[in-house]
Amino acid sequence: MPDESYRRFLDPAVVSKLATMELRARLIVEGFVSGLHRSPYKGFSVEFAEHRQYMPGDPLKHIDWKVYGKTDRFYVKEYEEETNLRGYILLDASASMAYSSSSDGMSKLEYGRYLSAAVAYLMLKQQDSVGLLVFDEAVREFVPPRSSPRQLHILLSMIDEVEPSSVTDIGLVLHDLARRMARRGLVILVSDLLDDPGGVLPGLKHFRHLKHEVVVFHVLDPREAEFDFDVDATFRDMETGELLTTEPFSIRRDYKSAVRKWMERLRRECAESRIDYVPVLTTTPYDRALFSYLEKRKRLG
Amino acid sequence: MNLTFLNAAFLFGALVALLPLLIHLFSRRRVRTVDFSSLRFLRELERRKIRRVRVRQILLLIVRSLILLCIALALARPTLRGALATGGGRARTSVAIVLDASGSMSRARSGGEEERSLFEDARSVALEVAGLMDEGDQAFLVSAAAPARSLIPGGTFSRTTLSDAILGLEPGPRSTDYRDALETALELLSGARNLNREIYVIGDLQRTGWAGAVRAVPDDAPAVYLFAVDGSVRNLGVASVAAGRRYGGAEGLYSVTVEVQNGGARGAEVPVRLFVDGVQVGRAGVDLPAGERGNAQFSVSVDESEWHSGWAELPADALEFDNRRYFTIPPVRRLEILVVRADGDGGRDDAYYVGRALDPDGRGHRFRTSVIESSSLPAQDPMRFPAVVLADVGRLGGPEVEWLRRYVSDGGGVLAVLGDKTDVRYWNGGELPGSNAVPLVEPFHQASGLRLAPSGRGHPLLEGLVFGERLIDDIVARRGFVAEVTGVEEVLEFPGVGPALLIPRGSEGASGEVAVLLTGVDPEWSDLSRSGFIVPLLHRVVEQISGRGSPAEGVLVGDDLASRLPGSSGGRAQVTLPDGSVSIPEHLGGPGGAVVHRDAEQLGVYVFSRGDTDKALGVVNHDPDESHLSAASRSDISTMLSGLGHQFMDPSSEVADRVMEARRGRELWRALVYAALALLAFEMYLARHRSG
Repeated sequence: MPDESYRRFLDPAVVSKLATMELRARLIVEGFVSGLHRSPYKGFSVEFAEHRQYMPGDPLKHIDWKVYGKTDRFYVKEYEEETNLRGYILLDASASMAYSSSSDGMSKLEYGRYLSAAVAYLMLKQQDSVGLLVFDEAVREFVPPRSSPRQLHILLSMIDEVEPSSVTDIGLVLHDLARRMARRGLVILVSDLLDDPGGVLPGLKHFRHLKHEVVVFHVLDPREAEFDFDVDATFRDMETGELLTTEPFSIRRDYKSAVRKWMERLRRECAESRIDYVPVLTTTPYDRALFSYLEKRKRLG
Repeated sequence: MNLTFLNAAFLFGALVALLPLLIHLFSRRRVRTVDFSSLRFLRELERRKIRRVRVRQILLLIVRSLILLCIALALARPTLRGALATGGGRARTSVAIVLDASGSMSRARSGGEEERSLFEDARSVALEVAGLMDEGDQAFLVSAAAPARSLIPGGTFSRTTLSDAILGLEPGPRSTDYRDALETALELLSGARNLNREIYVIGDLQRTGWAGAVRAVPDDAPAVYLFAVDGSVRNLGVASVAAGRRYGGAEGLYSVTVEVQNGGARGAEVPVRLFVDGVQVGRAGVDLPAGERGNAQFSVSVDESEWHSGWAELPADALEFDNRRYFTIPPVRRLEILVVRADGDGGRDDAYYVGRALDPDGRGHRFRTSVIESSSLPAQDPMRFPAVVLADVGRLGGPEVEWLRRYVSDGGGVLAVLGDKTDVRYWNGGELPGSNAVPLVEPFHQASGLRLAPSGRGHPLLEGLVFGERLIDDIVARRGFVAEVTGVEEVLEFPGVGPALLIPRGSEGASGEVAVLLTGVDPEWSDLSRSGFIVPLLHRVVEQISGRGSPAEGVLVGDDLASRLPGSSGGRAQVTLPDGSVSIPEHLGGPGGAVVHRDAEQLGVYVFSRGDTDKALGVVNHDPDESHLSAASRSDISTMLSGLGHQFMDPSSEVADRVMEARRGRELWRALVYAALALLAFEMYLARHRSG
């Protein structure tokens, strides 16, 4: 029964902990004006929330002059208002995401499902809009961001029904979505990023160029990072079917080095573009990974 | 350069070197296929790293195979021989030195100022070879003088022992037998301890010393190295001396024929002197072309009642031992002759007439005859009768045939007179002694005269019994047998029919001779019984065939010299050797039986005696073939040594250098073991990298 299958994503222990969490946009995103302009939508609360440091481009009317008088520094007021944060969860459903190094372990896709569900729940709980985009080499499924109570059901159902297939072209999908997004929002990419970094990074940076905030959950299986095979084997690419025979123990060190460099490049370039890069292994409980990230995000402001 | 394997059986172990390949191939087939998310990084690594890994895999495979191959080859003990195998390495060797100590080696070497025999040169070479013995080497010493024999039982590992044996060897008058010596050496080395084996043949390589190709050459035959010492081939020698009784003249008259051979390249007039009982009794000259033989004839008169010995002598030349040859003249004694008739016969049959001819007045002056029936033959003492006459005995039973065979084999002589009872098929069956040499075709029933056969001209037994080509009496044979013979002397013949009387000429050897008369003495068959010819003829034939116990010409040096001591005096028999020493001969059977002196080593006259009265003489002479000094050609020797790897060496060069160069073999197993260890270290290094 469909209702029963996606409910597995709402583990009570996780949900109760998520209730104490929040995922707020750190960067200025467009949304409804709050505090200074009448909202065309009734029922918004406009309460002062906190100060934050002034950034070029912030409206001068939000500067708290009192704080300036005290500190000689410019700060703007943040209001506890419904910002209509739009979240876009991008879930990679290419064939490589089906990989799991153990028969009873979680595949990357399954891990991504849980992660995506948790993020969707969090954002909807805090009355933000959240949508879902499932992709491989192209967009397969797309649910626009909404904040309605039914949205969670819609998203969880889609998450549950995702099946891995085809090859990956993350860059193309990112560019495609970036073009579609009319308003700034929060892009949460859940993927193994097993694609040409030369295509992935520009796609991510495209979002930043359009002032979107981007979080990348880089999901990997431990064996993909360690390559701890102990016998000669013929490896078959799950997306292309290509075969390659080798001695894993002979090349392991070089393989790990290559993976490390790849991840380092992603981390570095994401950091340069102020993209949150969160590498997670499927052996790490998804909730712990998510909570750890949220707490760190909160700490760093 | 020559690469050999001392343990060739281990070469099969080299197949083990295929093991790593087989394991690799087997493992490859078992490689499983694993789904992996992306080959992105592996592809990149393949370009840089995986190909290097494959090269290292192949290298490991090769190295491991080489390790196993090195170990297998090391166990096979490869040995490199030749000039390139330097470094002082050598394999342990078992050596057989065949040293020619025959009579021809006592001659002086050709050229040179120093008076030195060929044997001394050969011994020097042998001592140099012996000097190359090293720890672990084994040596045998074989004399090539016939019969070849090992001089160091079991061989020796001591250089001193080998050298002493070589120094203790001296050339003797024996002939050469290289084939026998090489076969002896091969047999000795077949049980040798070391797997590296060699034979060194040192001698004049005399042509007459090569009796034929070496037999029973094993697959792993040792190498043979031949050192030829050269000497003069000019030589005069006495080839034979034959003393025969002359009939028809004074008593005690003997004819002595001395045959001389010229081995030189030029003709020569050879003076021959004859000695009897130590006194020169004659001198004659023989004109001999190069390479030819010629005869000198002498007549001597001796006391027929005693033994006499003598020798024929040539002037001294390079080879001394063949310049003299000995002979004996046995006394003429009354002989006991056994005449055998068929069972049931009697009256005036062939046995009667033979008995009358041999002992006309019954007083037994020369011959005392005993006439028996054939069935009584097995009960007779064969030692008592030096000759037996089978007077038309026809078929004989098994015991009689067996008795006759043993009798002839022990030296007894037989005269077979064929007549009524002779069954051609039975005779041709070969049971009777001598019948094989005289196959009968059929009887004939026509009158035929008896005539001197062409080959009988000059036969000493007919001396005085022929005038020109005619017998002293005209004898007709009315019945007889036609025979086809080869290799047997015909004395008389039936003109137009075939041989009538066959008597082998005297020859050396201990076995008796068989003469055959192809017609009966019975008047129904021939006129022999009525002719005066029959008496001297039978006397001489029986005398001749009964004289094999002490052949006038004796035996060759190294052979056994047998004699029959007549009489029955008590006491032990002894033999006095030419150098005066006394030896106890071996008895062959019963008092009055033959005695034998084994392996007579000295040339000369041997005196067999028992008590004061019983005496017999025997002589030992050299082999006349040994007087032919020319060496066999290398091609002929190579033919004799087919199957044996061999080299001709120059004894005038540094023997040690030549031997070591020929022998220089370096065992390579150590190098292979070091190589295996080095490869193992390399393999460990490669494999260690692998797990990085």
